Amino acid sequence: MALIQALIDGLLAGGVYALISVGLTLVFGVMGVVNFAQAEFVMLGMFAAWAGWNWLGLDPWLGAPLAFIAVFLLGSVLHRLLLRRVMRAPAVAQIFLTVGLLLALENLALLLFGSGFRSVQTPYQTAAVHLGPFIVGVPQLGAFTAALGMGAALWWFLARTRTGWAMRATAQDPAAAQLSGVDSDAMHRLAFSLGVGLSAAGGAVILPYYTVFPSVGGQFVVLMFTAAVLGGLGNVAGAVAGGLAVGVVQSLSALVLPLQMQNLVLFVVFIAVLALRPQGLLGARA
Amino acid sequence: MTQHTTRRAALLGGALLAAPAVLRAPARAQGRAVNVGVVLPLSGANAQFGVNSRNGIELVADEINEAGGIKALGGARVNLVIADSSSTPTTAATVAQRLIAQNSVVAILGAFASSLTLAISEVTERRDIPLLTMSFSDQITGRGFKNVFQVVPKASVLGRAQFDGTLAIAGAAGERIERAAILYEDTAYGTSQAQGLRDAAKAAGVAVPLDEGYPLGITDATPLVAKIRASGAQVVFPVSYLNDSLLIIRAMRQQGVDLPAVGGAAGYVIPDFQRGLGPFAEGVLSIAPANYDLAPELTERFRKRYGYFMVHEALEHGVMMDNLARAMEAAGSATPAAVRDALRSTRFTEGWSQAMTGKAVAYDATGLNTLAEPVMVQWRGTELVTVWPAGAATGKAAWRSRTG
Amino acid sequence: MRTGAVLAALLAAAALTPLGLDADGYALRVLTTALLFAAAAQAWNIVGGLANRLSLGHAAFFGIGAYCSTLLLVRFGLSPWIGMLASAALGAGAALLIGLPTLRLQGHYFALATLAFGEVMRVLANTWTGLTGGPVGLSVPFGPDSLALLRFKSTPPYYWAALGLLALCTAAFLGVRHSALGYRLMAVREDEAAARAIGVDATRAKLLAATLSGALTAMVGTLYAQFSYFFDPDTVFGITPVSVRIALICIVGGIGSPFGPILGALFVIPMEEAANVLFGDRAAGLAPLSYAVVLIAVVVTEPRGLLRLMGSVLRPVMNRVRAPAAAVRPMAPRPGAGP
Repeated sequence: MALIQALIDGLLAGGVYALISVGLTLVFGVMGVVNFAQAEFVMLGMFAAWAGWNWLGLDPWLGAPLAFIAVFLLGSVLHRLLLRRVMRAPAVAQIFLTVGLLLALENLALLLFGSGFRSVQTPYQTAAVHLGPFIVGVPQLGAFTAALGMGAALWWFLARTRTGWAMRATAQDPAAAQLSGVDSDAMHRLAFSLGVGLSAAGGAVILPYYTVFPSVGGQFVVLMFTAAVLGGLGNVAGAVAGGLAVGVVQSLSALVLPLQMQNLVLFVVFIAVLALRPQGLLGARA
Repeated sequence: MTQHTTRRAALLGGALLAAPAVLRAPARAQGRAVNVGVVLPLSGANAQFGVNSRNGIELVADEINEAGGIKALGGARVNLVIADSSSTPTTAATVAQRLIAQNSVVAILGAFASSLTLAISEVTERRDIPLLTMSFSDQITGRGFKNVFQVVPKASVLGRAQFDGTLAIAGAAGERIERAAILYEDTAYGTSQAQGLRDAAKAAGVAVPLDEGYPLGITDATPLVAKIRASGAQVVFPVSYLNDSLLIIRAMRQQGVDLPAVGGAAGYVIPDFQRGLGPFAEGVLSIAPANYDLAPELTERFRKRYGYFMVHEALEHGVMMDNLARAMEAAGSATPAAVRDALRSTRFTEGWSQAMTGKAVAYDATGLNTLAEPVMVQWRGTELVTVWPAGAATGKAAWRSRTG
Repeated sequence: MRTGAVLAALLAAAALTPLGLDADGYALRVLTTALLFAAAAQAWNIVGGLANRLSLGHAAFFGIGAYCSTLLLVRFGLSPWIGMLASAALGAGAALLIGLPTLRLQGHYFALATLAFGEVMRVLANTWTGLTGGPVGLSVPFGPDSLALLRFKSTPPYYWAALGLLALCTAAFLGVRHSALGYRLMAVREDEAAARAIGVDATRAKLLAATLSGALTAMVGTLYAQFSYFFDPDTVFGITPVSVRIALICIVGGIGSPFGPILGALFVIPMEEAANVLFGDRAAGLAPLSYAVVLIAVVVTEPRGLLRLMGSVLRPVMNRVRAPAAAVRPMAPRPGAGP
C-alpha cells in the first residue's frame, strides 16, 4: 500500500520534473549547449510567482503564465547579450558561460530578495483528495495538471506550427535548416527563451507546496539533468518520460533509504547512463 | 616570450605584494569603547533567528550604554561589531577570525545554529577569546574547551525534557503514550536533541517506530509525513528550524495526520511559525530553553521596541550580553583572559539574568549554565504560554484539544 | 626556461611575504586561502588546461583529501603529513573511478558526469554518518603547536605549506606540459581520432593526467582541513564552494598557463573577502555576483582568461614604451578572440 502511495506521489512530482527538464532538453537540442544555469530559472519562476502572490494577490497557478512570460523575456535578453557570442566558441566558454550565469542569477536573487525562505499560503494548500486509502494532495495534483497542460501546448507548438517545425529543423540539421531559409539565430533565441520559460513555469506551479529561496535551484539540478539525460538530451518526449521516471525512482527510494540518500540512486543512474549510453535510454540524436 | 613573462612577473609580483595593503585592517575602535563581536546568521535559512538574536543583544547593549557604560572601565561604551555568519560553518569561522584579528573584540556572541557555533568555537578556542552562545548541541561544551559559555541546557537535556514533559502533560489528560515518532534535522542541533529524546524514550519504555533525520534544506515533507502515518505513532517529536517546521506541520494537516506535535524549540517557538501556519499553530507544544512570560517586566521592553514578543533566542542573547558586561565590571578589565575568568567565577543574579529559567546564571567548568531548566510552552493565539513544569507554568496545558 | 625563472622569483618573493605581515592577522589568512585554492586550480589545470577535460567535480578529490587525513588523525592519531600521502592515493583512485566510465565523454557531457560524481561524494559523506560524522562535520583536534601534526596557532606555517603545495602543483603542471605526456595530451586535445591513428594511447594519457590531478587536489584538501580546523560535507564537497570555484579561478586567470591559477586565485579570493569586509551583511551575494560577472565577461570576450586579456591590453602600451619607432608596426592579431 505504501508502495502505491509512493508511486502516486512519484508520478505527481515526476510530471513537474518533466516540465522542468523539457526546458533543459529543448535548449540542448536546438543549440547544442547544456545550460548549467537551467535550475536557476526554476528559482526565478518561483520568485516571480511568489511576487505575484505577495503583491498582486495572484494564486501561483495564475502567476505561472506571468512567470513564463517574464522569464521568457529574460531569456531573450540573455541570449542576445551573451549566449549568442559563444555559439561557435570552444566548450570551455560555453560551459562556463552558463556556469557563470548560474552563479550570477543565484546571487542576484540573493541581493534582490534576501535569503529568507518564502512560501505562499493558499486555501487549498493542505487539501487532499482521498481515493480509497490513498491520498492525493491538491497542490501536487494541480501542479501535475498544469505541467500536463503546458507540455501539451509545447507539443502542439512543435508539431503543428511552422515555427515549431523550423525549430525542430534547426535541431536536426542546422545547416540544412539555414539553407531552407530558417534564421538559426532566431531559432536559438526562441528555443532558449522557451526552455527557460517552461522551467520557470514549472517552478511557479509547485510553489504552493514548496518554499523558495535563492539557492533552491540546487535541489533541482541533478534531478533535471538526470531526467533529460535519461531520455536523451535533445529529445523532448524523452525528457517527459525521464522526468516521470525520476519522480518515481526518487519516491520509491525514499521508502527504503534514508531521506538524504533519496537522490543518490538518481546520481548513480545518471553517471551510468552517461557512461554506457550517453544518447539516453530512448536513444536520440547523438 | 620574454615580454610576456616579464610582464606577468610584474603583474603577479605586484598582486602578491599589493594584496596585504588592500586587506589592511580599518582603524580599530579607539577611545572609551569596548568591542564586542556578534556573529549571527543574518542571511540564509536562519536569518530570522539571527535577526531576533541581534535585537536582543542590541536592546541590552543600549540599556547598558544608557546607564553609563562599563563603569569599571571608566564608563566605556559597549560597541557591537556585528557580522553575518551566513549559513555555512566555514564562513562563520572566517568571519570570527576577521573580528578577532581586525576588531580586537573582547568576546564573541553567537551564532544561534549549533553547526555555526561549533565552527566558530574552533577559532575562539585557539585565539583564547570567550565565546558566549545559546546553541545547545552537546558537543559545544563536550570538548574540554576553556573559552565556551553556554547559557542554556544541553540538547540532550532539552530532548529528555521534551519527552518527559509530553508524557506528563498527556498523562494528566488521561492518555498513555506508547509509541512516538522522532524527526530531526540532521545538523548538530537536531542530532544532539534527538539523542536526548531517544534516551528518554528508552528510559520510559516507549517504542519509537519512526526515528528519522532529514536534510536541513528539505523542500518537500510529504514522504516524511507519509512515514509518520505508516508508523502508528501517537505523538510526533520534530526537531526543526523554521522552514522545515512549517513544511512538516502543513504536510501533516494535508495528509490528515492528526497527531500532537511537540516541537524541539527553534522553528516552533518564533512568531513566524504562527504567522506561517495561522490556525494550524494553535495548541502546538514545544520545549524551550526559556520563555518570555516568565519575566514580563524585563521582556516587555523588547516587545515595546520591536513589536513582537521576546523570542527565547533574543532573551538568551540579551542575558549573555548582560553577563558579559557584568563580567567586565567584575574583572575591571577588557582583556579576554580576565573576562573569561570572571565569567566562570561569577554567579549572575541581577538584571537580565533573572529572565532565565533558574532566575540566575552560573557557568561551570565546561562552560555550561547549570541553573537553566527547560520549559514546555504552548501556542495560544499569537502568544506562547509556559505550561510545564508546574513550578514555572503560567497556564494550563491543553492536550489534543486544538481548534481547526 | 624563462617561465621557470619567473616562477622561482615569485616563489622567493612569496616566501618572504609573511615576514612583513601580522602573523595572526586577517590578511595573511586570506593570502593562505588564496594560495590553497591556487594550488587546487593548478591541479585542475592539468586536466582542464592540458587535456581539455573540463571537470565540474573536483570537489570530490578535495573532499576525499580533507576527510581521509582528518579521519586518520582522529581515529589513529596518524600525522596529517602521512595522511596527505594517503589522501593523494585515494584521490588518484577516485580519479580512476570516475575517469574510466567517462573516457569517451567530451565537453558538456564530461562536465555533467563529473558534476554528478562530486554530488555522489557529497551525499555519501552526508549519509555515511558512522564514517564521516555526517552533516555535523569533523573537527581537527586541538592542541599545542606541532609540526608533526601540522598544527599551528599562527598562520605563517600554513602559508608556507600552502605555498609549497602550490609550487608542487605548478611543477607538476609544467612537468606534464613539457613531457611526452604533455604532447600526447595536446595531440588528443586537438584531434583524438588522428592521435589514436598515429599510435597515441589516448586512454592512458587521459587517465594519467586525471590521476595526477586527483591526487594533487586531494593533498590540497588535506591542508585545507588542517588550516580550517573544521569542515562538513557541504564545505569540502560542495559544487559552488569548491568545484566551480576551482575551475572558475583557473579560467578567469588563464586556463592552460601556469600563471593562470595563481593570478585567478589572487584575484578572486581577496575580492571576495574585500566585499565581505566592505559590505558585510548589507549585501550578501555581491561578491559572488561580482566574480560571476567577471567569469562571464572573460568567457565571452577572452576565454583564455585575464592573463591574455591583460596581455592584449598592455601589449600596445609596452610596445610604445619599449620602441617608439616600432609603434607604427601593426599589432599582431589577438589569439583566440572572435568566432
